Amino acid sequence: MKSRQSRITYIPLARWLTIELTGLVILSLLWSLHSALAGYSAFIGGLIFIVPNAWFTRRVYRYEGARQMRLMVGNLFRAESTKIALTAVFFAAVFTLMEPVHVPALLFTFAVMVVTGGALRWLIRPQTRR
Amino acid sequence: MDISMVYIAAAIILGLGALATGIGFGLLGGKLLEATARQPEMANQLQVKAFIMAGLLDAVPMIGVGLSMYLIFVVAG
Repeated sequence: MKSRQSRITYIPLARWLTIELTGLVILSLLWSLHSALAGYSAFIGGLIFIVPNAWFTRRVYRYEGARQMRLMVGNLFRAESTKIALTAVFFAAVFTLMEPVHVPALLFTFAVMVVTGGALRWLIRPQTRR
Repeated sequence: MDISMVYIAAAIILGLGALATGIGFGLLGGKLLEATARQPEMANQLQVKAFIMAGLLDAVPMIGVGLSMYLIFVVAG
């Protein structure tokens, strides 16, 4: 990835991650009022969304500008496929390796983080510099 | 409950999710290339918009992936 100064578009990845992780910790604490297992499962559910999504963002903004748009679109498709595959692998790993797991907490937190992530990228947009 | 029905349900969720995401991303990428060819000076702003739309587009299939993994590994497994 290019250095921060030489980029055309400023991506507020650190700000997105901070807000998402803060929201995730709050949700996990709320679930931990139910039980410690539910809080732990909720935290894992949020991480299953955050990690592939951060990777997707880095991958999509690898190429910028009109001359590299073809590469950027190719990267967009590859990044999306990898993101969905990573999510499926993480879910499979959690359901097979993590015993016991509180499934409603895991899936609810994941769904909330998916919706929050989309809204966050809409509200705090990447800024173009040129 | 018959286990094979659970696998079929998971396969339908995953398959339809993948199909819809594929169509959506195909249209999104095609329109992005088309718009950039028309107005190259707008490329960066178009890239930002495409990125935001990509995030909204894959929200429902992502939840579908989670549900189908639950069906495969917990309900059927």
